[in-house]
Amino acid sequence: MGMFSESVEVACGLEGQPVELQWGGRTYAVCAEPVHWYERRQWWAEEQRAPLGSGPGLVDHEIWRVQVVPKENPAAPEHLTLDLVRHTGSGRWRLLRIHDALRHKTA
Amino acid sequence: MSFTHLHVSTAFSAHYGVSWPDELAQSAAATGATALACTDRDGLYGTVKHLKACMAAGLDPVVGVDLAVFDDEGDLRTQLSGRVVVLAHGHTNGAGYKALCRLISDAHARTTGKAGGVVPVAVTRAELASRVLDPDTLKPVLSVLIGPDSDVGRAMGGRRYLRPRTLFKSWLDAMPAGSVVAEVVSHLSAPGEPLSTAHAVRMLKLAQEYSVPAVLTNAVRYCAEDGAATADVLDSARTLKSLPELSAAPLLQPNGQGWLKSPDQMLQLGKEIIHAAGYGAADLQVLLAQTEALADRCRMDPVTDMGWKQPVVPEASVIGIEGDPLAELALRCEAGVARRFPGISGKAEADMRTRLDHELKIISNLGFASYFLTVAEVSRMILDMGVRAAARGSGASSLVNYLIDISQVNPLQHDLIFERFLSRDRATLPDIDIDVESAERHNVYRKIFDRFGAQRVTLMSMQNGYRARGAVRDAGMALGMDDGDVGEIAKQLWRFSARRFREALEEKPELREFADRVEQRDFSGNQQLDLLVDLTERLDRLPRHISMHPCGVILGDATLLDRTPVQPSGLGLPMSQFDKHDMDPMGMLKLDVLGVRMQSAMAFAVREIIRIHPTKADVVAAGAHPVGPDGKGPDYIREDGRIDLNAVPLDDEPTYELIRSTHTLGCFQIESPGQRELVGKMAPREFNDLIIDISLFRPGPMKSDMVRPFLEHRHGFAPEVYPHPDLKPVLQETHGVTVFHEQILKTFDVMTGCGLARADEFRRALGNEELEPKVEEFFRRKARENNYTPEVVDKVWGTLKAFGSFGFCKAHGAAFAVPTYQSAWLKAHHPEAFLAGLWEHDPGMYPKRLLVAEARRLGIPILPLDINRSGAEYRVERVVSGPDQGKLGIRLSLKGIFGLSGAELKRIVAGQPFDSLADLRARSRLTKPSIKRLAQLGAFDSLHRESGGAANRADLVQHLQNLQNGQHRKGPDVIEGQLALPLGDVELRNVKAELPPPTMIENVRAELDLMAVDVSEHLMSSHRPLLDRLGVTTADRLLGLRNGTEVLVAGVRIATQTPPMRGGRRVVFISIDDGTGCVDSVFFHEAQEKAGPLLFGTRLLLIRGTTRRTGPRGISLSASMAWDLSRIETLPFPGKESGSGRGPESGEPGSVPAEFRTPGPLSGIGRNLAITGLGG
Repeated sequence: MGMFSESVEVACGLEGQPVELQWGGRTYAVCAEPVHWYERRQWWAEEQRAPLGSGPGLVDHEIWRVQVVPKENPAAPEHLTLDLVRHTGSGRWRLLRIHDALRHKTA
Repeated sequence: MSFTHLHVSTAFSAHYGVSWPDELAQSAAATGATALACTDRDGLYGTVKHLKACMAAGLDPVVGVDLAVFDDEGDLRTQLSGRVVVLAHGHTNGAGYKALCRLISDAHARTTGKAGGVVPVAVTRAELASRVLDPDTLKPVLSVLIGPDSDVGRAMGGRRYLRPRTLFKSWLDAMPAGSVVAEVVSHLSAPGEPLSTAHAVRMLKLAQEYSVPAVLTNAVRYCAEDGAATADVLDSARTLKSLPELSAAPLLQPNGQGWLKSPDQMLQLGKEIIHAAGYGAADLQVLLAQTEALADRCRMDPVTDMGWKQPVVPEASVIGIEGDPLAELALRCEAGVARRFPGISGKAEADMRTRLDHELKIISNLGFASYFLTVAEVSRMILDMGVRAAARGSGASSLVNYLIDISQVNPLQHDLIFERFLSRDRATLPDIDIDVESAERHNVYRKIFDRFGAQRVTLMSMQNGYRARGAVRDAGMALGMDDGDVGEIAKQLWRFSARRFREALEEKPELREFADRVEQRDFSGNQQLDLLVDLTERLDRLPRHISMHPCGVILGDATLLDRTPVQPSGLGLPMSQFDKHDMDPMGMLKLDVLGVRMQSAMAFAVREIIRIHPTKADVVAAGAHPVGPDGKGPDYIREDGRIDLNAVPLDDEPTYELIRSTHTLGCFQIESPGQRELVGKMAPREFNDLIIDISLFRPGPMKSDMVRPFLEHRHGFAPEVYPHPDLKPVLQETHGVTVFHEQILKTFDVMTGCGLARADEFRRALGNEELEPKVEEFFRRKARENNYTPEVVDKVWGTLKAFGSFGFCKAHGAAFAVPTYQSAWLKAHHPEAFLAGLWEHDPGMYPKRLLVAEARRLGIPILPLDINRSGAEYRVERVVSGPDQGKLGIRLSLKGIFGLSGAELKRIVAGQPFDSLADLRARSRLTKPSIKRLAQLGAFDSLHRESGGAANRADLVQHLQNLQNGQHRKGPDVIEGQLALPLGDVELRNVKAELPPPTMIENVRAELDLMAVDVSEHLMSSHRPLLDRLGVTTADRLLGLRNGTEVLVAGVRIATQTPPMRGGRRVVFISIDDGTGCVDSVFFHEAQEKAGPLLFGTRLLLIRGTTRRTGPRGISLSASMAWDLSRIETLPFPGKESGSGRGPESGEPGSVPAEFRTPGPLSGIGRNLAITGLGG
């Protein structure tokens, strides 16, 4: 499992779940029902400020674990399992981890 | 769709919950909820606030508790299996609420109430089961929610299939049918972690398997996501571990999802759980419907279930009456008339009768007769104990209180208004505060418990919230910062709320250094400091723990413990979980029984007087009391010499003379430098003057310059001005200046005809943004209708508006003035006994040594410590020999000697007298250091003299020091068996005379070091030659100087004050004592700049200033320069200082005479606070 933090473009479905994403110049489709959860952050080490009223996203962030296949080749044998994180404030997505299969890039 | 949150901790779950009840209620109501639960941990701490908040937000309150349960399989006294939520069923005529209260009291019953107890707050499952059923109907009135933090929920992790089932099954077996509910919670944490959806699914399935209803909650700790970080910090404060440590454990909440989610979000959450469980839409509906069904079952009716705003007082039979309480009250008032107003007749009687009828009518309408009888019963009980008691506060406004002996102030004499205390428009129980001797307070509490029965009495608690210092400490600990570092920062935080920390960083000069460090975070790795500021602000005001309120006692009927949970207080007596804000809503009768040290001091003085003068004639002679026409002395002194202080007439001339002399050290309320100045200016002649004096000496009147015009009018320097002749009767006693609440009430009444009851409502509305404009509108309209000119209306409204919000209630002033007068009376007539009482109970604002100096100033002999004559208390003693023969002196007590333990003290007192050191060692078993210290203080001097030894105190101390060092030889020093023989003390007789006797300076230094009191002589005495050389003026001679004379004064610091001033520039008041009296000096800005670090850092001061005459008997000093008297080389010796403006550095060491170089008694003494009243 590799750890990344790389920006990705994600299209979401009606319930807010990712259905499609663009990463490394390719488009992927989500091919299985994603799992999501909220994961704690070490905010006291990562942040310089924590003022009252800073709103959501300080203590945890939302993780989506998706299985994707290249959109142009849905029948491709290798499914990728990715952990995506959605930044609570901006709504932007980043790629957090790549599980199993090929490691396209290493940190 | 509506959703009801059934598991919510408020901020009153100390070190756990984040949000206040009203935030939660408003937030819930805003998203369409119709009910909301409050389930604080371990108690109902936030429940009453929750009720209030729900009623304001239009919600039905649900009431419950989050409680730990003992492990049935482990050690039942210490091991916990987990936590459950228990909810009370509503609309059960209180059966559910009662069961909840009793259950919570069960959970606390085994704890000690002291910090660090090993027994946790928890119930056994058997206790829980027994409380669930209503004993009357045998139906469940509580529901128990088995959720993620229960033993079942905790067993959900891992792959164990059977364990959670076994545990769940044993809950079902143990609890009455229909009382168990499964609580399904998902905080959407990572799969497999606690509070994950997977765990929620397992709980849901378990419920289905056993056909137990499941409800959905969010185990809420904060109102919105933003609170999650605060919850992390609270977890750290609770567990005393830093966030990095907790995170590694892992013991923190898995994420920040425990907030009060909206119905839509809860529906979404429900969907995810149902979906993950593989269930369908119908199951979701069932889950939500079961949640709402339980909510409906638990909707409380605040009135019928919890007794909202229904005052409950002890049963009539308990206070010893049969029949109608009102008739009984009227009867007792009648008896009081004969006692308080003997021989009253004519108009005076008619007025008194009218007033009494008026009060009784209002009391009758409110149904409060039992309340008055109850308070009277407590008051009588205290007096029967022989303990001094006095009502304080607005209770003094009531004639009924005066007649039934609750209060000692005659409201008719002082023109006090009943409506200020109670009126038909105020349906809440009034406050009556009773001051008792501080030393007897706990005994009084115990007696109240005995008298009314433990089921009817409990102590009130108070919530202690985070303030700046505690908040910064806990925030620093959470961040894992260095203790010492945080401690340094905490020290500098003073008198501002934590919420304004960042603002304070910019404003306060003492925080400037810290602010700079925060600024420089990027360069020095201080980024934590910024977080420290933010987290400190987050903690501000959050409750930390509850403790016993310093004076509140709750009295009720036999159902009291059905209406409030109780837990042990540190005192051992039970304490309610409700605080003062909860009393009125819950209809609880609260008595404030305050411990007042001055009352103890006065009681002590009265006992000493009777001990020394055992007959009335002796007391009359000793106190120079009026003998009266029959020559027998006054009625307030009984035949056995006992003085009834409360019966002493309030017109004693020597007492007012003492007060006018400004030598009021030790007198209640009028001993501070500011008050001494004020009484000097005002020169009180009668009791009403004291009431006015005390009422004027408040921040409001002092700040708004009411005092100066008052004094000018009083002394006739300026004509009195009244806005309108109609107001003259109202304002005459204060010469046209509005001082009292009572005057505000009457002003309203005179000009608008509104009646006094409404006038008091108006007064309360002053200063309230919303209500004040309405009052103004009414006042202007009505006053105009009554033909007052616009100018008069404007002027009077200006006064009402300005003074209304902080004026003083005359009844308070009158109640306070009684002990003020009584203490001054004792000082005027029996100063020895009074000072002994002051030394014993230390009631005032000054270090004790100043009151010892006061005795010296008054010529009262201070008798040294003596192993056979000193007791555990200070004692008045007739001096039997020497120059003071025949005088009354005060013998020092053995208490308060550094290092002498309470047990040692007891053994000494029990064993007195001792005929030798060996006898003392054998029977009192004193440690060697204790014996040496007693020798240093001269406690063996008389024993030593009697033994006929030739050595002195220094030789004896050296001898004892040698023994202590273990260098003693076996020999004639200590011979076993010596003690019973009447040979005198061989050991003392044989101490070798080798050393020179200790100097006076050495003796005084030992006294200051070991007792913080200079006994043998005033500590300034040894500096006298130096002071004479410097040309210093003594305090007693200041009054003879002209106004504006430049003088040097010197003394030891006794008080330092920096009151807030108009205009914002700091003024520092420093008082010093030079042995002839006090000098009060004021340092304005320029003098502060010159004196610099000497302002707060110096014990012995030399001050140059000019005299300011403040009144016929008052004089103070406007300082221009100060020196540290112990730095000889800096002092301005005459002739040495040439020209002007030379600072302390101008000294030339070589020119200081050698005779002044001997260190004074304070040299080397570290005890600052006890000696100068200034810490650090």
